[in-house]
Amino acid sequence: MATYAEMQQIFDDIRGDFRYDHELNGCLNCGICTATCPSAQFYDYSPREIVQLLWTENVEQIYDAMQEKIWACAQCMTCAARCPFKNSPGGLVAIMREVAIKHEMQSAKDVLRPFGRVMLKLITTGNQLSPDMIQPDHFPDWGPNIQKVEGDLRILRKAIPVKTLQTVETAWEVSLKTSVEMYTIWEMTGVLKSLELMDENLFDVIEDFIDEKREDYEDWLEEQEEEDDE
Amino acid sequence: MQQDTVLVVGGGPAGLAAAANVNSAGYKAVVVEKEDVLGGAPILSGYAKLVPSGEWAKDAIGRMVKRVEDDANSTVHKGAKVEKLEGEAGNFTATLTNGESVQAGAVVLATGFTHFDSINKPEWGFGTYEDVLTTTQMEQMVASGKIACPSDGRVPERVCILLCVGSRDRQIGREWCSKICCTVSANLAMEIKEISPETDVFIYYMDIRTFGLYEDKFYWKSQEEFKTKFVKARIAEVTASGDGRLLVKGEDTLVKRPIVIPFDIVVHAIGMDPNADNPEISQVFGVGLEKHGFLERAEQYTNTCGTTRKGIYSCGAAYGPETIDDSIAQGAAAGGRAVADLHALVQKAG
Ligand SMILES: Cc1cc2nc3c(=O)[nH]c(=O)nc-3n(C[C@H](O)[C@H](O)[C@H](O)COP(=O)(O)OP(=O)(O)OC[C@H]3O[C@@H](n4cnc5c(N)ncnc54)[C@H](O)[C@@H]3O)c2cc1C
Ligand code: SF4
Ligand code: SF4
Ligand code: SF4
Repeated sequence: MATYAEMQQIFDDIRGDFRYDHELNGCLNCGICTATCPSAQFYDYSPREIVQLLWTENVEQIYDAMQEKIWACAQCMTCAARCPFKNSPGGLVAIMREVAIKHEMQSAKDVLRPFGRVMLKLITTGNQLSPDMIQPDHFPDWGPNIQKVEGDLRILRKAIPVKTLQTVETAWEVSLKTSVEMYTIWEMTGVLKSLELMDENLFDVIEDFIDEKREDYEDWLEEQEEEDDE
Repeated sequence: MQQDTVLVVGGGPAGLAAAANVNSAGYKAVVVEKEDVLGGAPILSGYAKLVPSGEWAKDAIGRMVKRVEDDANSTVHKGAKVEKLEGEAGNFTATLTNGESVQAGAVVLATGFTHFDSINKPEWGFGTYEDVLTTTQMEQMVASGKIACPSDGRVPERVCILLCVGSRDRQIGREWCSKICCTVSANLAMEIKEISPETDVFIYYMDIRTFGLYEDKFYWKSQEEFKTKFVKARIAEVTASGDGRLLVKGEDTLVKRPIVIPFDIVVHAIGMDPNADNPEISQVFGVGLEKHGFLERAEQYTNTCGTTRKGIYSCGAAYGPETIDDSIAQGAAAGGRAVADLHALVQKAG
């Protein structure tokens, strides 16, 4: 359990986010957001409750909501499209999640762990998901339909008429230059920093990979220059 | 002789009160009303019994119409608008769309409001489902003396009224409270129950604004004597169930869970928009509009009946959502102020 000062700091970080005042104008307590929220149908989660906790600065309950509730949001932003006060409860949840990561909260680590696989794929290939990641044990929610993607993926992919969709390890090919630019974006926007806070081992693997790719890119640039000089 | 004449634009409760007050001071009133009947929204939309008097709209407002029509000092142009206004305070000439021209020393704009069109809130089912109605349609049903579902004529077991439709909603640019719809809805619930005792009425609200003396007379009475159920929730969507009923989806904010409830009729308590003519009125009369699109007041405390142009006055729902009683009071005040200013002009010139 965190001390009150720690919880206050977490709230201050949420409130200090540059988006905060844009996402929260007050609240009419009407419940449209919760009524329209897909997650509220299935979980003990209510966007109106999140908005109320933030608006009334209930730092203890905010901390409590960050243990589990905020991770139930699907980030679909239906609430933002409907709120008669033009709040964005989903946008507030996004800020809370980022602050949870910044504070290395266990709830964030638990929720994000399964996404390590996606992160690795993204960094190494520039794709979030590729055909070879779709394996029955990873997608129990697909039910019996998952069987349809078993078998020879290469042949199945051949059936897709679009040329770029015929690889198996990637969804499409990403150029070295684009990959390196993406690394710079992730670095500058703090994505890699967040990753380091959440999963140090994964971060080390990814960091090595990025260094390697950057060297490849430098080599390639030099080669180009030499060719031009000739 | 324009200095003994006041041009009143709009023949609703406010305009009728203005004209009557002008007449009672011995001045002439010329009323220009764009529709073919006088009486404004309560008559044009066929309201049933009025808040708070309980009198039928056609009787109550009918008396106001008769008072003006019977006065020898009043001239009424129906089915006409002002096309052009020339001159200045004390000396205006208005050209009407019917070709006539009116000389007047002052103008009172009593041009009222426009009902919110529920089509602009498609997720609440109006225009999609026959059994989704507006308060004006429900008032007409009450006036007809029979409560029935428009789709198949059955007597509804459950009716709900959704408050704040077209009010208090930034998503559709309506950032005002329409002031009267809470009380009108509490009253409507009682009227429905009176005609159809087997029908239960539910009202979904964010806040209940039965201000002043309307608290016990409407909010409390509706519950105590007519068993109206008030649920604190704003509805997100209205859809249809398989069996021909309507499904209303909201959050019961006191219980804190999403709810889906079946109803036979859903009523939208529609709000009061600025008159759709206001941009044109602003042009023709050279008066300013405030930020929501209603007419702008000259000064809140010392020139409450004024607009941004000297010699042109306003009153009632033209300034913003207003009740009939207050529209009448403001109309009388505007008529009085116009006459007083004209009188002062003549004294000065004399
Ligand atoms: C569903 C509903 C129920 C209501 N019930 C009640 C109630 O029970 N009690 C109560 O106190 N209030 C009630 N109200 C409020 C009431 O309707 C208004 O207070 C009242 O109508 C305002 O009067 P007004 O004369 O200012 O405007 P209006 O009634 O709108 O009259 C304006 C008149 O001006 C005319 N006009 C408009 N533009 C022009 C133009 N350019 N040229 C010429 N003429 C023009 C219009 O045709 C109209 O006749 C209700 C409102 C709604 C929406
Ligand atoms: S963004 Fe989150 S809170 Fe908003 S409706 Fe979607 S799931 Fe619910
Ligand atoms: S929809 Fe907006 S105003 Fe209504 S409860 Fe949710 S956040 Fe508050
Ligand atoms: S009077 Fe009541 S129903 Fe009408 S807008 Fe105001 S709060 Fe909503």
